[in-house]
Amino acid sequence: MKKQKKFWVYKFYLKNKNKKRMAKISLKNILSKDNDAISIVNSLAIQLNADFCIEDNYGKIILSNNERAFSFQYPVIYQNETAGFVKGNEKSAFIAELLMHILNKESERKKLGTEVLNLYQEINLIFNFSDKLAQTIGATDISKITLDEAAHVIKAKSGVVVLWDEEIKRLRVEASKDESFFEEEKINTELPLLIDIILSGQSEILSDISALQNAGIISPEIKSVIYSALKVKHRIMGAIILADNEPDKYTAGSLKLLTTLALQSSSAIESSLLYEKNIREAQEKEAAMRRIFDATEKFVPYQFIKSLGHELITDVKLGDQVEKIVTVLFTDIRNYTSLSELMTPEETFGFICLFNARMGPIIRKHNGFINQYLGDSIMAIFPGNASDALLAAIDIQKELQNFNKIRQEKNKPEIQIGVGMHTGPLIMGITGDYDRMDACTISDTVNTASRVESLTKHYKASILLSDASLRQIENTDDFKLRNLGFVQLKGKLSSINVHECFSCDDETELQKKSATLPFFNDGVSFYLNKLFVNANDAFKSVIEIDPDDRTARFFYNHTLKIIESGVPENNPGVIEMEEK
Amino acid sequence: MEQKLLIVDDEAHIRMLLEQTLEELEDDGVNFYSASNGEEAYEIIKTENPQLVFLDVMMPKMNGMEVCRKVKMELELKDVFIVLLTAKGQELDRQKGHEVGADLYMTKPFDPEAILEKAKEILGL
Repeated sequence: MKKQKKFWVYKFYLKNKNKKRMAKISLKNILSKDNDAISIVNSLAIQLNADFCIEDNYGKIILSNNERAFSFQYPVIYQNETAGFVKGNEKSAFIAELLMHILNKESERKKLGTEVLNLYQEINLIFNFSDKLAQTIGATDISKITLDEAAHVIKAKSGVVVLWDEEIKRLRVEASKDESFFEEEKINTELPLLIDIILSGQSEILSDISALQNAGIISPEIKSVIYSALKVKHRIMGAIILADNEPDKYTAGSLKLLTTLALQSSSAIESSLLYEKNIREAQEKEAAMRRIFDATEKFVPYQFIKSLGHELITDVKLGDQVEKIVTVLFTDIRNYTSLSELMTPEETFGFICLFNARMGPIIRKHNGFINQYLGDSIMAIFPGNASDALLAAIDIQKELQNFNKIRQEKNKPEIQIGVGMHTGPLIMGITGDYDRMDACTISDTVNTASRVESLTKHYKASILLSDASLRQIENTDDFKLRNLGFVQLKGKLSSINVHECFSCDDETELQKKSATLPFFNDGVSFYLNKLFVNANDAFKSVIEIDPDDRTARFFYNHTLKIIESGVPENNPGVIEMEEK
Repeated sequence: MEQKLLIVDDEAHIRMLLEQTLEELEDDGVNFYSASNGEEAYEIIKTENPQLVFLDVMMPKMNGMEVCRKVKMELELKDVFIVLLTAKGQELDRQKGHEVGADLYMTKPFDPEAILEKAKEILGL
């Protein structure tokens, strides 16, 4: 008996693990429980004036009001089995009837209880599933959890969660269990077969799976297939499909459970896809913003904004300003006007672009930034030491020599540029109005730097720097420098001391200028002391050794003119510039 | 020795569900008792000394915490294994449950399988 029961339990367990076995109802059960059964039986016995003895089917007395031998015995039948006997007088038949009634009632109660418990178990399962879903982000992870849960509670050897990708018109396998059954490539080559199922929006137990088997989507061992659509309202997202080797595996109950899980999973997947879409859009927006920011930064240099104490151009306000000691560097193409006359406007523009493209990186390399492109001229700012600007100037001239070599090969005229710089205070700020702002620099340093640059034409020098710039440079021995004396700039009250840097000259020129440097320095010294004849002699010595020294030639001609026409009266040691 | 199990909950359907969940223990000779409020539960524990009590926390007439405290602290019935049951989302009570000497803490809705496993383990079945 016991063994048989165990077997039954085992079978039941296999069939439905989550449903609990029902305990057997016995006379002992109903009469020992803390219910009213005993008192009802006793009160009936009193009413009937009946003596009785209730025994189980092993003869064990459960309840009795009299121990004597009885003449009548009535079986208590419950579910076609004898549950026990009521012994007593003839009236004890009523007690047997009552017991059978109580047994049946108890049985009904238990049956109902079991059903309620099963429902409760489902609620608990769904509750836990919701809990898990709530902690999961991402369509793939949600699909995996759903499949795991479904395959666990509904029992499936294999399964798959597929989502329909509207854009590429393909089914995407988001999660799978025992992959040999549902392979993405196979599913999509046999799309029409599955599309009816998946995009139907239905849930069902498939009665005929031969088509799927013939197409090779599911293997021949599969005997049962159940699926449920994943949909939100009327929008079908995909499906969850479960399969097993056992025939007629799935019941209406399985379908109900799968539909419930699918419903919950669908909204989670939907939210997740929406979330992913939002994230993606936000990232795209951010990338677009980044591109705009990068582009803006090219128009207003980041260093300029940083100098104003900001990290982002969006933080810049009208009226922001900062004062700093900087070195301002100007480059200018000589004879640009006549040069551009030989070219069409397009060619000129192309040439300028080509030229600027070569110069910009050099300026940045030496910690400077381009403040402005002014036609053929570049204005750059070096917030650090003036030596940065001077090194940049040397590199600019060397780069120009490379540029000229290429032009020479193309039979194009050689380009010459002058580079001039000055160091001094400068206010950088944002000016304009609310709708149109611009980064601007306000400073006399800029004007002076520009004028120092224009002096290169007069002195026929490549690089000129003011005394203020030179004073900031500590390692002057690293540079080849010549003092050119004082210059009275047009429109300026005080004169400034300018120096030439010839570090950028080619090797032969460099050697010659170095060799003639004592004569040159003597010349400048005589000149400053108004000893113009001695100065003229000194510069003559320089030219004799180095006829290509155009700066020395300038001084030679200039002193000769003074000797011939007489010394100017006002501030004779200073060269007065006629033009800017 | 005869094993006794007490189910305490003010909601009749929860009592029934617990009974139903644990009913196979009856086959192993465990006697079931039930109570629908704290006072009743306290009296049964005092007189019957059950080995295991499933005790709902929120109840009229003495709540589960109080029952637990009185049983463990006043009656000093250390051998009564008390499982406190509370609605999910009120897990903050866990610390309090520990303070009043509860042996275990489970949440409702409960997992029938887990409850049965636990009961068997506690009763040594």
